[in-house]
Amino acid sequence: MKKKKCIAMLLAGGQGSRLGLLTKVMAKPAVPFGGKYRIIDFPLSNCTNSNIDTVGVLTQYRPLELNSYIGSGQTWDLDLSYGGVYVLPPYATADSSEWYKGTANAIFQNFAFIEQFDPEYVLVLSGDHIYKMDYNRMLQAHIERNADVTIAVRPVPWEVAPSFGIMNVDENDAIIEFEEKPAQPKSNLASMGVYIFTWDVMKKYLTDDNADPKSKNDFGKNIIPNLLNDKKALFAYAFTDYWKDVGTIASLWEANMDLLKDPPEFDLTDPRWKIYSRTPVMPPHYIAAGAEVTNSMITEGCDIRGKVSDSVLFAGVKVGEGALVEDSVIMPGTVIEPGAVVRRCIVAENCVISKNCQVGEVDGDIALIGQGTTLPEGYVVKAGTQVDTDSIKGKEGA
Amino acid sequence: MNDVMGIVYTSKDDLTLRELTSQRAVAAIPVAGRYRIIDFTLSSLVNSNIHNVGIIAQKNYHSLMDHLGSGKDWDLHTRNNGLFILPPFLTRENGGEYHGVLDALRANFDYLRRSRQEFVILTNSDYIMNTSFEPMIQQHIKSGADITLMYKKATPEITEFSSSSKNNHCYLNVNEDGVVKDIEINPNAASYDNLYLNVMMIKRTMLMYVVDQVISHGSHDLYADVLRPFINSGALKIMAYEEKGYYRRIETIRGYFNFNMDLLKPGVRDELFGGNPVYTKTRDYIPTIYRGNAKVASSLIADGCVIDGEVENCVLFRGVRVGKGAKIKNSIIMQDGYIEEGVELENVIFDKAVTIRSNSRLIGQKQYPIVIGKNITL
Repeated sequence: MKKKKCIAMLLAGGQGSRLGLLTKVMAKPAVPFGGKYRIIDFPLSNCTNSNIDTVGVLTQYRPLELNSYIGSGQTWDLDLSYGGVYVLPPYATADSSEWYKGTANAIFQNFAFIEQFDPEYVLVLSGDHIYKMDYNRMLQAHIERNADVTIAVRPVPWEVAPSFGIMNVDENDAIIEFEEKPAQPKSNLASMGVYIFTWDVMKKYLTDDNADPKSKNDFGKNIIPNLLNDKKALFAYAFTDYWKDVGTIASLWEANMDLLKDPPEFDLTDPRWKIYSRTPVMPPHYIAAGAEVTNSMITEGCDIRGKVSDSVLFAGVKVGEGALVEDSVIMPGTVIEPGAVVRRCIVAENCVISKNCQVGEVDGDIALIGQGTTLPEGYVVKAGTQVDTDSIKGKEGA
Repeated sequence: MNDVMGIVYTSKDDLTLRELTSQRAVAAIPVAGRYRIIDFTLSSLVNSNIHNVGIIAQKNYHSLMDHLGSGKDWDLHTRNNGLFILPPFLTRENGGEYHGVLDALRANFDYLRRSRQEFVILTNSDYIMNTSFEPMIQQHIKSGADITLMYKKATPEITEFSSSSKNNHCYLNVNEDGVVKDIEINPNAASYDNLYLNVMMIKRTMLMYVVDQVISHGSHDLYADVLRPFINSGALKIMAYEEKGYYRRIETIRGYFNFNMDLLKPGVRDELFGGNPVYTKTRDYIPTIYRGNAKVASSLIADGCVIDGEVENCVLFRGVRVGKGAKIKNSIIMQDGYIEEGVELENVIFDKAVTIRSNSRLIGQKQYPIVIGKNITL
């Protein structure tokens, strides 16, 4: 079999519990973003645009939605005879069967997958960020510096640095120290969760790590520190373009709002770096007489009769007469009935916000309505609260 | 899967559609914001579980090929069946051009012979209809008909579009048993109100036989030389099937304009798009962005637009930009149109990638909209 220079392993197994009800029924990478995308479209499109044509997607938590979304990979031109996209769930063998214990263990368990392509380098990606990045350039830097591992880093504001994995580097970008969520950060270069490993190095360190019963089998906690201890060649690769962690309700909302700025903070229209997504076939959207739509993104299948401002609406969303949607993100198939008001809120897929509901507030934290929830008529949801079918039932029962 | 194949005849008599067909077949005309006419025909076939579809293309088939690709957007890229594009070709027997549907079928006799389905649905692609052919297939098999013709009661909305062109307008006399007793071809005043929709079902081997017989006797016309003699002689059992759903034939600019405007009525949208999906080539446009000065009413808008002006009663295709202070009314703007700031438009049809510079004004008549051809900058 022909060798692949570099293949990608996308860690899509995490629940993303900080997204609350949004990830109750689906894995974080399957969460909708930007009117017609899902988070996983970004790393997958980046791979295709970077000429990396082999991607293993490691899934574990609620994989159904993600699996059916990825399908044959055709959307991202990843339906190839040799290479393409593969969904890799945990599996049982003759003598063991185990879940992925950590990020490093997930990849260790799929060594056989990697070896069939006999790659020189392995790119490790995570499925929780919105960004456009040419991985090929990072690979060039990795090769030129003869690195064992290259870690993509991004400067973040100092005040949020304590919530990231922080890299301390020397004048040649060699990593001298790695601190996971330091209280007193010495640098503001945060790890983006994007690594390139020389395959031989990865193979040795992940094998050793797996043999260590005390290890948490995690790249940040175990593998990177071990490599540093052994004085391996670890380099930082600085990335300064738009990059947003969408791991929380607030940051997911913010990243959606970034698309509405003029010019947008994050531009999806660049013809040289398209983001591909699998979209249902729906007719163009309809704006009725009497509707008002400003500073918003609207896509196919929507039917707007009310007022929409500063919001991102996904496919097939209906907004009834006299309804108001403001500063909100409304995911596919949701219906906002006449007279309902939705402010500063993320409404997940296939919800019904019945007549005269008041969801969210002008100020305060972002409210969230979980997937498939039908709010009864006139229901009120306060700023920053999360509501789904179970919580409504609980409230009625109480 | 039905034991039926589809053959779609894309006609070439398209002079009445002016600029819209100067570079493309009628079947490839963009409609309804993101579709081409042929999407409706193809989707109806696929949604009726027909997975072997031959498309008889004419000389100007480039844009059709570009649109259809491998057929994957219609799930027509399977191993044994799928999509077959049949353009005219030049050999000792073929003149590099098709003289009607019978000639095209004769030239593609091998495709007919190789296909394995028992029946053929032969259809034009100059109409908008999202239907299932299943009931017609069932009726055809149950009735033991040799040929079943699809028709629709001719209401003013349908025939209005046809008034200025007289291409293959056939009307059927259907008796109470559903048997076709007479066919009128291009009458000035029709005696019957059953408009034939240019959709027929026939056994594949019988179609091959008929094509061979008619062509070898020097005849070319499916209607005058095949249907009429058979109907009149009673040699074949020719039945009629009534289609009741939304149907518009696109034959004139006015018909094209009226159909698109029809889509702004909720009833029509529900009828066309509320049932089976209509598939089309997917493109990766981002959702449409509305800016602070946008004022949009009663309009159908595809993805990838950026709107900062006023839009009323319009159909905007993908990637249209409407500048600040621009006002567009009763108009159809195809893909990648660019309406700069302060422009005023009414009753116009812009073909793909038309740019109109700042503060220009272009006002057409509702009965005769202004058509601007592809890639023109005003």
